[in-house]
Amino acid sequence: MTTATVSPLPADLLSSRKPAPFSLARRTIMTPVLLSLLILAIAGLTVLSGSKPFNQAVIDVFVRVTLVVGLYIFIGNSGVLSFGHIGFTCMGAYAAAWLTINPIMKKSALPGLPQWLLETRLPYWQSAFLAALFAGVAALVFGRVLMRLSGIAASIATFAMLAMINTIYSNWEDVTGATSSVVGIPIVRTIWPYVGAAIISIFIAWGHAISRAGLALRAARDEPTAAAASGVDIPRARLVAFTISGAVMGLGGALMAHSIGVVTPDTFYLGLTFITLSMLVVGGMGSLSGAVIGVVLLSALIQALRWLEAGVAIGSTTFGLPKGLQEIALGVIMIVILALRPAGLIGNREITSFRRSSRKQSSQQ
Amino acid sequence: MGQLSAKNVSVAFAGLKALSSVTLDITPGHISGLIGPNGAGKTTLVNVLTGFQMPTEGAVELDGHSLDRLKPHQVRRRGIARTFQGGRLFRDLAVIDNLEVTGVGLGMSRRSAVAEAAAMLDWIGISALGDRIAGTLPYTDERRVAIGRALMGQPAYILLDEPAAGMSSHEAGDLSALIRRIARERGCGVLLIEHNVGLVLGLCDHIVVLDSGAVIEEGTPAAIRDSEKVRHAYMGTAVDTDLPVLEALQ
Repeated sequence: MTTATVSPLPADLLSSRKPAPFSLARRTIMTPVLLSLLILAIAGLTVLSGSKPFNQAVIDVFVRVTLVVGLYIFIGNSGVLSFGHIGFTCMGAYAAAWLTINPIMKKSALPGLPQWLLETRLPYWQSAFLAALFAGVAALVFGRVLMRLSGIAASIATFAMLAMINTIYSNWEDVTGATSSVVGIPIVRTIWPYVGAAIISIFIAWGHAISRAGLALRAARDEPTAAAASGVDIPRARLVAFTISGAVMGLGGALMAHSIGVVTPDTFYLGLTFITLSMLVVGGMGSLSGAVIGVVLLSALIQALRWLEAGVAIGSTTFGLPKGLQEIALGVIMIVILALRPAGLIGNREITSFRRSSRKQSSQQ
Repeated sequence: MGQLSAKNVSVAFAGLKALSSVTLDITPGHISGLIGPNGAGKTTLVNVLTGFQMPTEGAVELDGHSLDRLKPHQVRRRGIARTFQGGRLFRDLAVIDNLEVTGVGLGMSRRSAVAEAAAMLDWIGISALGDRIAGTLPYTDERRVAIGRALMGQPAYILLDEPAAGMSSHEAGDLSALIRRIARERGCGVLLIEHNVGLVLGLCDHIVVLDSGAVIEEGTPAAIRDSEKVRHAYMGTAVDTDLPVLEALQ
């Protein structure tokens, strides 16, 4: 039988056309660099401000950048809307809790954990790495089944996965504390680990986008039939993205746990799913730049609405907006942006310092 | 010599027979034609040959080995390429990236894929289009890019589904020259599915005529031109739309 015929054209024909090594990486590197500079600039201003509440608010922004970039890796490249990724964030957060809480507290609060885990206590950065690995492996296992589905069936299946994870974490009392809060997670208040995680996630997303799997997946998103006829194994390309994005979501979950010091299953359910998906949609689902800018803009808006909900004192009177307005405002903004710019604020473009190559880069990423 | 064969292939959709015991061979280096009125089952046969449609009966064989149960991407990796009616390019990607997708789909590194894609664009004569976004191309250029995408990785067979649709006679002439080069210079076995019967009669070594899912005639272009059955098949359908076909058959 004829085997796969992938023999290249004659060497003399190829040699004149051979692109310089890493030319694609060089052509597209400005996007993650500029996004990282944006993150660093925000972090620098935050440190200079010296405000602790502002520091905490910006830490929340960087955690969301990690989460939304994680979502982008799968949703943006595959075009399959996933409602289940916050399940991997939940897994990452609890893994970080299991690995970092004081063993004495663990033995009383989570007695069902295996002995080795009860006695383990790692630094936060090691726990974050292992949490990402744990969530990535979970995504690989779930993805083996889910990635065979397409369209609305895949989206509903991811939602079912989220419900399953939430149900397990809400009921496995000896291991997760069920619906009770798991406390005692070391809180990391310095901003730099969160900056590092956001930048790492941006570079992981960029690395995937310029990889073979990333190109094949975007082709399958646009024309699945033609992609299959081009030799693309679509479920496999989706599985690669699902696994990588699951790991990034797990990393985000670990950071979230270390930023607030307490986890409950409901923290990682519909509310967080809605907010992170909104940020991705508003920024632009098909763009890494859109994912990051969507988080920054919507986080700024949410923070402003929170302050307004808390009340603003003018003279002797305090004016406050009704509670819950931020969710309503987010919904309204999402609807308006989807109506006016269905591809989001950034669309499918990427920010880059080279205007001439912007169109080409959008096709590469 | 190897061969891609459909052997007694039948396909039924909810009781309706789209193909009835069709047998067809494609040989490397030769151009075969598949013609027939609208609804004859031509595209269904291409779908069967490329793994997009499972036959209800019969089998597809490559060099004597069955391709049954292979998925479309696995069929492509065995060297059987195809194009689609309407091009179906990846519209948001640059032209060169469209070709590169096939390269990476076949297991090449991005670097080798982009090198072969550039060489392929050169070979077809559309290097200048490499950086254009595929969705902005005129119709005829789309067809040539689709052919270039299918030729990546040196397939042994290429199935062209109505590549000349909507082309002027001058453009169809250029396309003919390209198809000849694909068979002669690359040694590819070509199956040409086309409504432009004049183009098929002028290009192909062997022609199969389908009507209502069954083979009603096959043979050399001269034999097909002289066939009463073929003329009757076209006259029995939409006479207005098939007038050029009848002229080609005169």
